[in-house]
Amino acid sequence: MNRSELISRILVYAGVVLVIGAPLVFWARTPLIHARMPEYGGWSPNIIHANVGEPLHLKLTSDDVVHGFAVGQMDMQSVDILPGKVTDITLKFDKPGIYTFYCTRWCGLNHWRMRGTIEVSGSPSDSEPASPPLYVSLNLDIDAPHDAPVVPAQKPSAIRGQGLIPNSPFLQSFDYYRSNSPYQAFLDLSNTSLTEPQRWDVVAFIWRSNTLSESLANGKQLYAQNCAACHGENGAGDGVFADDLTTAGESSMQTMEGAMDMIMQSPVDFTDPQRMLGASPALLQGKILRGGMGTGMPMWGSIFTEEQIWDLIAYIYSFQFEYQN
Amino acid sequence: MNPRFSLLLILTAGLAVAFPPLPVPTVAPQARTFQVDAGQFAYSPSKIFVNPGDTVTLELVSTDVVHGIYIDGYDISFEADPGQTQTLTFIADKPGSFRFRCNVTCGAMHPFMIGKLMVGTNDWLYRSVGLAALAVLGVTISRKQEV
Repeated sequence: MNRSELISRILVYAGVVLVIGAPLVFWARTPLIHARMPEYGGWSPNIIHANVGEPLHLKLTSDDVVHGFAVGQMDMQSVDILPGKVTDITLKFDKPGIYTFYCTRWCGLNHWRMRGTIEVSGSPSDSEPASPPLYVSLNLDIDAPHDAPVVPAQKPSAIRGQGLIPNSPFLQSFDYYRSNSPYQAFLDLSNTSLTEPQRWDVVAFIWRSNTLSESLANGKQLYAQNCAACHGENGAGDGVFADDLTTAGESSMQTMEGAMDMIMQSPVDFTDPQRMLGASPALLQGKILRGGMGTGMPMWGSIFTEEQIWDLIAYIYSFQFEYQN
Repeated sequence: MNPRFSLLLILTAGLAVAFPPLPVPTVAPQARTFQVDAGQFAYSPSKIFVNPGDTVTLELVSTDVVHGIYIDGYDISFEADPGQTQTLTFIADKPGSFRFRCNVTCGAMHPFMIGKLMVGTNDWLYRSVGLAALAVLGVTISRKQEV
């Protein structure tokens, strides 16, 4: 073998090694994130650091059952994480801050405790001041009982209420709907000539007219994916986990720091008129945002966008009101 | 009795038991719905009986983690998360007994999460019992003739 052939061989070998090796080395340097059921540790690591504007590469795998991955308040398609397989994902953040990533496939009773954070550092470009949620500006106590003292004899119907609504721009305003409970609206209609069932029908119509059909559809989907396992597919508080949550008591709260003297209650029954007709959309928004209430209700503020929460609320009221014939 | 003749008799009886169709009353196909609860690591009910030709709807309710059903032989599958009941409708046009199993990794015992779909009567069971009885009869007859 002459010298020039040796050199060219070395060059070819080096080229091959580089082409195969460089991506491998790069891939291996991305840390592998393990997903486990929350009872066995959840995400590890559960804190990820990133920089604004730079792509963040993640590799994810599951150690037990099917999990999923998504980042809260971001418009992203969730990815499934399967045991024995590695899923690659690339994220990009436009704003600095602390983002929550969470599991998107039901992986057990404490599925919603399976969360982690991505700390995105960088110089804030143009930070908008955060406005407090409606329940704060209305000064609502979201833990106080809010039962409606009077409930309708039959399910109020928006169809029947459509022709009965008094000509009052005040009642039909969007702000009125968001900050008042159905029962409050029923009271405000008491100076009209309508009978009680008719007043309830008008309330149903007010609620329906402030709800877009696409919001209902979107809320329905969100509800099925995130709420139905505890609150029941038909909203009756009888989901597959309802009994488990009641019996699990504190042990289901173990991953929540400082939550030691919790009294577990069963999930709320959205078909119960007394409870739901006394609750305003603003109150429900507060409950969904904050969660807790001494129950297993997770905190959704870091997961859902504001729009998603309003869509969910619109759907939850549809358990109380007849919107179609 | 001559041994050859008795052997022939036993063999003919064996063929008669094994191959001719049983006089099974044909049942008009109907639509059936089953709710199958899936939890680690079992199905409830785990045995489903239908008649050939039935339109079968399975409603899969998962009670802990994501589970699925894959039916051997029919080659159909679906999966359900807790809180999201999923349905699968198919026509049970293949008679026999088929295993169904979980097709989503659901934990350590996932491979053992199985159930059974039975389409029609299991006539091979009765035929095998008949054949076994004939074999015993044949052996006793031949031993008697040797003595």
